Amino acid sequence: MTSNHPQRMWLPYLIAVIGIMGTFVLAYLIKEDVQLNANIHPTIGSYHPTVVIYMVLFLGIGISLLVTILIWMIQQSRLNAVRLNLMNQDLQKSMAETLHAEETKSKLEIALLQGQKLQAMGTLAGGIAHDFNNLLYAIIGYAELSRQDVDKDSITHKNLGKVLDAAHRGQELVGRILTFSRRQHHDFAPIELKTTIEAALSLLKPTIPASVMIHFDPADEQIILGNQTQIHQVLVNIINNAVDAMDGEGSVNIHISTIPKNDPFLHAFPNILQQNYSKIEITDTGHGMDQPTMERIFEPFFTTKEVGKGTGLGMSIVHSIIQEHQGEITVTSQLGHGTTFMILLPMMEGN
Amino acid sequence: MANILLVEDDDLVRDMLTQTLERASHHVISAANGEEATERLQNEKPDIMVTDIIMPKKSGITLISEVKNRHPHMEIIAISGGGRLDPTGYLDLSESLGASVSFEKPIDNTALLMAIDLLLHGKKENVK
Repeated sequence: MTSNHPQRMWLPYLIAVIGIMGTFVLAYLIKEDVQLNANIHPTIGSYHPTVVIYMVLFLGIGISLLVTILIWMIQQSRLNAVRLNLMNQDLQKSMAETLHAEETKSKLEIALLQGQKLQAMGTLAGGIAHDFNNLLYAIIGYAELSRQDVDKDSITHKNLGKVLDAAHRGQELVGRILTFSRRQHHDFAPIELKTTIEAALSLLKPTIPASVMIHFDPADEQIILGNQTQIHQVLVNIINNAVDAMDGEGSVNIHISTIPKNDPFLHAFPNILQQNYSKIEITDTGHGMDQPTMERIFEPFFTTKEVGKGTGLGMSIVHSIIQEHQGEITVTSQLGHGTTFMILLPMMEGN
Repeated sequence: MANILLVEDDDLVRDMLTQTLERASHHVISAANGEEATERLQNEKPDIMVTDIIMPKKSGITLISEVKNRHPHMEIIAISGGGRLDPTGYLDLSESLGASVSFEKPIDNTALLMAIDLLLHGKKENVK
């Protein structure tokens, strides 16, 4: 207990000691005075001197104790208020922590659910693709057999050629579905993100209108273990979508940065590894999208483009490629305010 | 001309392939799954077996390993449309079990017929 303690807990005891000691001194002085002047003052007022001394002692000690108790009670009530305040702060802090934990948990649950949904769709798509390959094979085979039976200049020969064309288009589509559903084992090699992104941008350049600006903000050298072609595919798909969302004018910003392994930012992702991550953010100034579109963007066959312009597979392939790279991808968007895709890819440890 | 055992569970594909092979002057013995193929092999001695991989009762993978044990000289062609697994995975497995060549459906039938001719004339190394 120190003297600069805000509560001065020693104060009531000091008052009690001083009060009681003072009372005794006062009683002693009165007693001396009465003995000295015993003949002059046989009584004080109407009381006998001994009674007066006892009264002084009784009153003095009583008042001292009362004041002590009063001060002690005031101190206790103040102390309780402080304790209550501290408890309140603790409670608020733990409530905020619980809320944050709940939020993180629900984010994780949503991400897991999304992953499971996409996996289930992948399995389904894989099964359908198998049956489709058989059907397409039958269509192509029979069409070829029939073509052998008819005159090369006949309309039937030409029409069967169209059947074959359509079947081959179907074959390409199945190929793309399978890219989504298969766990293909692509060759992974150390790749440098900056040069990979620059290469993807130079691939895209001829197809992007001059009124759409692409800004790339290269960070330090970041090396990931991955498949260059697949990472190109991811960037090309996202940037093409961004350009499509801009109706010919606007800008796309690409930014890369490093997220250290212990960064709390990583806690919101379910399958995160204990290592540093490269973060790629691709932001466009396009028309953005609403919540329902955002929730379904990585689902296969989901498209907002008109019939024939999109298969609805591009973004699901992007998702499956990022998963194959043990990465994460999220999208944030607001109608009228553009879209941001955020990709996390585990960085290569050591060299 | 070759004696070909065609094992395929899809009726349409089996019929189409039978017609295609017969037009190329081959003799076709067909079976709808691995079990039927094993039965056919008790009485028939085909030169080449063309088999699908994912089939009910007995799969192409089991069939290929059995045939390679009992008829080591028979040439085998594996075909597959895949499924949940990458078909190249199944096809790689078939080749490691003894299939001479494998095709992913839908197959270019001209290439299939060419492969059969090459296998028939013992030019296995040229098939791929």
